[in-house]
Amino acid sequence: MRKKSKSQSKSHSASKAVTRHSLFGPPPILEGEDAAAYDELFGRVCAAIKPVDVIDEMFVADVVASEWEFLRWSRLKLSLIRARALEALERFLPEKLDYDLYREHFEDELTTTLQDNLAEDQTEDFAQTLAHECARNDPEAVDKVNEILAGIDLNMDHILNRAQAQKAEELTQQYVRHEPGAVKLINELLATASVSIETLTVEALRAKELDYIERIDRLATIAESRRNASLHEIDRRRPVLGETLRRSVQEAEDREFKVIDTTPAKGRNAA
Amino acid sequence: MTSDRKIKANRVNAQISTGPKTYHGRARSAKNAFRHGLSLPIESDQALCEEVQGLARQIAGQRASAHIEILARRVAETQIDLRRVRYARHRLVSDALVNPYYESRADTRAKIRVIKQLLTPKLTDIPLPAFIEKYLITTPEGPAKLATILSEEMKQLVAMDRYERRALSRRKFAIRALDEARRRR
Repeated sequence: MRKKSKSQSKSHSASKAVTRHSLFGPPPILEGEDAAAYDELFGRVCAAIKPVDVIDEMFVADVVASEWEFLRWSRLKLSLIRARALEALERFLPEKLDYDLYREHFEDELTTTLQDNLAEDQTEDFAQTLAHECARNDPEAVDKVNEILAGIDLNMDHILNRAQAQKAEELTQQYVRHEPGAVKLINELLATASVSIETLTVEALRAKELDYIERIDRLATIAESRRNASLHEIDRRRPVLGETLRRSVQEAEDREFKVIDTTPAKGRNAA
Repeated sequence: MTSDRKIKANRVNAQISTGPKTYHGRARSAKNAFRHGLSLPIESDQALCEEVQGLARQIAGQRASAHIEILARRVAETQIDLRRVRYARHRLVSDALVNPYYESRADTRAKIRVIKQLLTPKLTDIPLPAFIEKYLITTPEGPAKLATILSEEMKQLVAMDRYERRALSRRKFAIRALDEARRRR
């Protein structure tokens, strides 16, 4: 048998997509969603169910659309909760951090502030050295820095808070990426404070978000029950289809093979 | 109690204002009650009718009896109706999602209040603080935007869901009737 060329199979799948599009409407893909992932899901469901007629295809399209929606709402719910959890973590971390953990950030922050407010006769290196010594708690450097900061309506706490916040943000990002060091440190800090990330998240969720989540849950439940209903209908149709298929095969065979006349040989010429 | 003078004035005014007069005005006001058109029967749309016919032929298959053809047509009608409802629901969310200025009605009202205050003579000369400017130009993005859309359009989504539920139910029974007829054949 001659193999189908790539272009032939491409045009075949394209025409299939057009048919599918006209029967079931455009795929329910929203902006930012992965159309290829939808097609892959469609392909997998099709391969599993193996639709045998148009009605089966309708149910396959239903299953895929409902599943896609269910995944979308589940993802959305997770994103909202995760965003709130990370904000809560960023708020929790700064005051729990040891100075050693954010000393470098403090030094950088202080260097930038000092460089922006240098006297004309001072070099940028001077700011860096002063910030370095101040970060190492050198009393003379601390006094000098306090003096400079007072002159520009700032104080040490302000710089320390900014450094803490920066380190907290950095750690949170590392925690999102599951970097072992950050995960271990944050878990230790949470344990020391006798809280868990779940507690922080629940406390951070506002009434507005809880309302969103409730609505999203409702939509997810609807999508899930519709998917299950479609699967149930496919199951229900299988015996009917089996019978219809058997009959079709039988009819085809009947057309192909005529019944042989079994009239007795009476009256015929004997050999 | 309303005075006779007022009643008379109201009646005279009502006679003067009897709605739009131009062709375009009347055409527009005729659509005032139109929301999504999902309650309109499929037969009212010629293009949909043709799609129903095509799909019904596919469902019935070749050499189908008249009875099967009727049942197949019912299935096709419900399928096209279902597609229409789903498309409308999808458009509702998707149009809002691509709108870069989309935000909740409550947020829009709050921003309008802020702008009104900023336009008072006392504040017009003061430069706009950065955080207020940021607040005014920021709209929800990403998951927060989708969540806002769901929350804002929930009433309509629920209404559309009712149409979808009905269409699904009608299609289920239409398919069962067709399957039953094929089984008995």
